[in-house]
Amino acid sequence: MAEISGAIDSPAPAVHREQVEGACPRCGAHELRAYPVLSEGGWFQAVKCDRCLMSVRRTPWALLGPVQLTSTGLELE
Amino acid sequence: MTDDVAAVQRLRDLDDEAFGLRYGADRFTVSVLANRLQYVVEHMCSGLLTNAFSLILRDWYDFAATVSGPPGEGYPMSSVSNSLAVFFGTMADGLRNTVEEFGPDELAPGDLLICNDPYRTGTHVNDVLFIRPVFHEGRLAAFVSLRAHQLDMGGVVPAGFSATKRDVYETGLVLAPQLLYRNDKPVRSTFNLIFDNARFGALLLPDIKTIHQNLKLGERLITESIERYGLPAFLGAIRYRCDVSAESMADALGTVPDGVYEGEEHIDCDGADDSVEYRVQVRISKVGRDIEIDLSGTSPQARTSINASVLDTKTAVGMALKLLLDPSTPFTSGTYRPVDIVLPPGTVASAVPPDGAVFLFWEGSGPVLLAIFRALASALGERAVAGDFGSLSIHNANGMLPNGMPWVTTAQCGGEHGPWGATRHGDADNYSVPYLANNLDPATEAIESDVPVVVLRKEYTADTAGAGTHRGGAAVLKDTLWLAPAEHWSSPLHTKRSSGFGVHGGRSGAAGAVWLFGKDACDVGGEGRLLGTEDAVYANAVPVAGVLDPETHVRDLEHGRYFYFASTPHWRTEPGAIFRYLTNGGGGWGDPRERDPEAVRRDVRDGYVTIEGAAHHYGVVVTGDPETDPEGVRIDADATARLRSVEGNVR
Repeated sequence: MAEISGAIDSPAPAVHREQVEGACPRCGAHELRAYPVLSEGGWFQAVKCDRCLMSVRRTPWALLGPVQLTSTGLELE
Repeated sequence: MTDDVAAVQRLRDLDDEAFGLRYGADRFTVSVLANRLQYVVEHMCSGLLTNAFSLILRDWYDFAATVSGPPGEGYPMSSVSNSLAVFFGTMADGLRNTVEEFGPDELAPGDLLICNDPYRTGTHVNDVLFIRPVFHEGRLAAFVSLRAHQLDMGGVVPAGFSATKRDVYETGLVLAPQLLYRNDKPVRSTFNLIFDNARFGALLLPDIKTIHQNLKLGERLITESIERYGLPAFLGAIRYRCDVSAESMADALGTVPDGVYEGEEHIDCDGADDSVEYRVQVRISKVGRDIEIDLSGTSPQARTSINASVLDTKTAVGMALKLLLDPSTPFTSGTYRPVDIVLPPGTVASAVPPDGAVFLFWEGSGPVLLAIFRALASALGERAVAGDFGSLSIHNANGMLPNGMPWVTTAQCGGEHGPWGATRHGDADNYSVPYLANNLDPATEAIESDVPVVVLRKEYTADTAGAGTHRGGAAVLKDTLWLAPAEHWSSPLHTKRSSGFGVHGGRSGAAGAVWLFGKDACDVGGEGRLLGTEDAVYANAVPVAGVLDPETHVRDLEHGRYFYFASTPHWRTEPGAIFRYLTNGGGGWGDPRERDPEAVRRDVRDGYVTIEGAAHHYGVVVTGDPETDPEGVRIDADATARLRSVEGNVR
């Protein structure tokens, strides 16, 4: 292997999937998780089945999802 | 997700009544209108291409056009131009984000709304998104938009292309959603903002006026369609095109075996130093007609401008799936209906301001596409597609002519064009832009007329293509001779590993490199000869990037040392300097021993493979001299059979 400087040593960001009570109406698994997704139409807060990927709930989220602009929060008045 | 798609009747099975109820007109009318929408975007693009002054628009086709529906329909993007995917892939979300922030109720006929913020609209600040609302009977009916690269948008590097910019303040002027025209009259404050900050205004101004006129053309064509067929049919056609894309993608996903697939891809380092190598990681869950792609585990955002934004990564995901699984139907916003992307903020593929600088966004999003290609390769089997040349290795330079005229070149003199990977259908293209793009190749004559440079070589390099039953594309070598003092930013970001990975038993392509030669290396004008390509020439070269032998500076991926592309953040050269770019090679498809010996003989004849490479990589013994008698090269069938019969002889 070549002598290559550098290493991937910083902690990598990850999306947390919060456990949600209930069963999936499609496959019956008790493996529902809540987390944001990006799809057709932009960002959604979704509750999905970990096993079959069914979306049990999808609520439109902020336009830019988790991204905070440099100007976010400006109070002008 | 696709529950809606799966539950409803298939589009082709809808009877006339059901079709009419859903789409506001009969199938024939909706199909005519759907094609009309495509005509509109292509017509807008033709108008801009044939009237642009800026090299990046005129010679690169660095723009895209789209048509989207109104807010009440959810801004569905029904039509995209036949141009670069990195643009149109971001435009559905970018348009919605821009209009929603500005306020759709604030728009009026004759407006032209703009935004260029990568975190709102994707890509980089030079790619301004121009949006024209289309009204019908006083209500918003649609939007036509053009995203077009402006040659400069301020910032610390003329023309902008650099991997060394450290934050949003260095990348250039950020334009939040604002009007450029109101009632088709220029908004002077916006023009002042741009032209008080951007270089090369004499080129920008006529191009912006042309963009305005072509958006008016698009608006007129759409208005004519609505007046002729009615608004319900027009909106139905927009929905229909998106539904076709959604159904087609879901069908394609249904052909992939269910499972969890993982892949990763790397970026050499950023422009701060070479202490960090960046990783893009994808975890793909596929069940039935749904897919989820999670990028958790991807490296934190880079310290300089090699990051991609969220929307760039969304584009890369969509295009990876289109290219692999569903290439035959149009790309629309509906393509993403069966696709969920899970994307933590603050990664190299989802940078956030102000420190997550975004400029060379494709260097962050391209690895997303390649990681998906890698992840799905085993599941797809013979349908897998090999990797391309990976990095644009973009070259950006500028200077001043003796008469005081500033000049700039961007994306013309580096490794911007190179090979693709092979597929089950055949050998790969050798000379294109990366998978995520779709642009023109600037004519050498145009480059040399605008810039004090001579393009000396633009040629394929033997034994760089990934071997396979179908051969990958060969790496492109480009030499440029600089005739005037200049400063250069060189950004090759994928040289530590081959980006052109092989699939289905195919081999990987070679890794590329970049060198800089002084006038003493080869006095082209005085000696009347080109700089050679033999190994000996590299000893006196300055390595710019690549894994090279420390003494000879020849490529040596196995034992060499990595030379850091930004060890000199920007290079200053005197007349006579030569930059040499060698792209990565494309990956091969299938076992090289299965390649038809006659195809290998043709490769030797044409210079894609040497006689030694034919034996080493393919087990084919070719005789003759391809340099002096290319049509005389022959296959030694007996020797080939003996060579191929021994396991391990072909590597």
